[in-house]
Amino acid sequence: MARIKVWDPFIRLFHWSLVILFAANSLVVDDDSKLHIWVGYAILGLVGLRIIWGFIGSCHARFADFPPSLSGAMAQLSEMATRRKHAHAGHSPLGALMIYNLILTILVISLSGYLMTTNMFWGTEWPEELHEVAVAWAQISVVAHVAAVIFETRRLGVNLARSMVTGYKDM
Amino acid sequence: MSLTPKTKTPKGVLILLAAQIICAVFFLSDVIDDFRAYGPMALHDTHILIETTSALLLWMAILFEIRLFFGLLRRTAHLESSLSITQAAMHDVIEAHFTSWGLTPSEQDVATFMVKGLSISEIAALRGSAEGTIKAHLHAIYRKSGTNNRGEVLSLLIDSLMDDAPIQTGMT
Repeated sequence: MARIKVWDPFIRLFHWSLVILFAANSLVVDDDSKLHIWVGYAILGLVGLRIIWGFIGSCHARFADFPPSLSGAMAQLSEMATRRKHAHAGHSPLGALMIYNLILTILVISLSGYLMTTNMFWGTEWPEELHEVAVAWAQISVVAHVAAVIFETRRLGVNLARSMVTGYKDM
Repeated sequence: MSLTPKTKTPKGVLILLAAQIICAVFFLSDVIDDFRAYGPMALHDTHILIETTSALLLWMAILFEIRLFFGLLRRTAHLESSLSITQAAMHDVIEAHFTSWGLTPSEQDVATFMVKGLSISEIAALRGSAEGTIKAHLHAIYRKSGTNNRGEVLSLLIDSLMDDAPIQTGMT
């Protein structure tokens, strides 16, 4: 067992701010209110910073540390099938795919939401439809993300949720 | 000429599976929406009932596929890429024994490494688990196969290979 520093403070702050803001906008805040729009801008800003951090951030925060890889995903599934246990320090290959999925989905939500506020798209249906479909997809993804974190924590014996709070993985 | 069987798991299967799961999530959420909208009344609506059954059947099909897919992954994980047809066939016979003994996926993995002659510490490193865990797996393997040690397991496998092997003439 070794204690490894994995997530830097920005990543942790980003993660939990996004959790709070996304939950607020999709579940609590009134869709037609000014606040909904401001929370949306905050989310877009956060994701923008995360993308910049993906190039200049700490080791495991960089996109180069978790490139999307189908063969990596297959390898991780093989580990599950044979019940082998090799924990990844940063994002696992399947986890990485979920991160890209979430970043892209949130960008689609933010941009379609922004289009709904512009005069150019006033009265146009598709930005609103896209916005709703993307939100539904994001909610399903969040449920899948949480389920996967619980599953991997049990499978590997490494508390992944706690590492997103403390920044350290015991592995 | 070297004949090598296919040992790569098709990635296409993974993509197909992902697409099916997305569809199944969509249909299931549709069904849940229907039940929310109509309440218990939905049970009297033939269309909704057919939709519900189809969605559930799709989920069952996906679970079944995942089982098959994981079996395929295990097989691929245990076969080396440069295996000849004969070696692969031998591997199949050995794996059939593991299945008939009722080994769990973990035990099958350990047994495969054991047959290849790896030590307990090597197996532990390859599987990312403690040596004690591997020892427990080995004991389970001995118990389930009715043997007492590594040598007896191997004799059992070799015995059956010699019994089952068809007499081949004219082929090398």
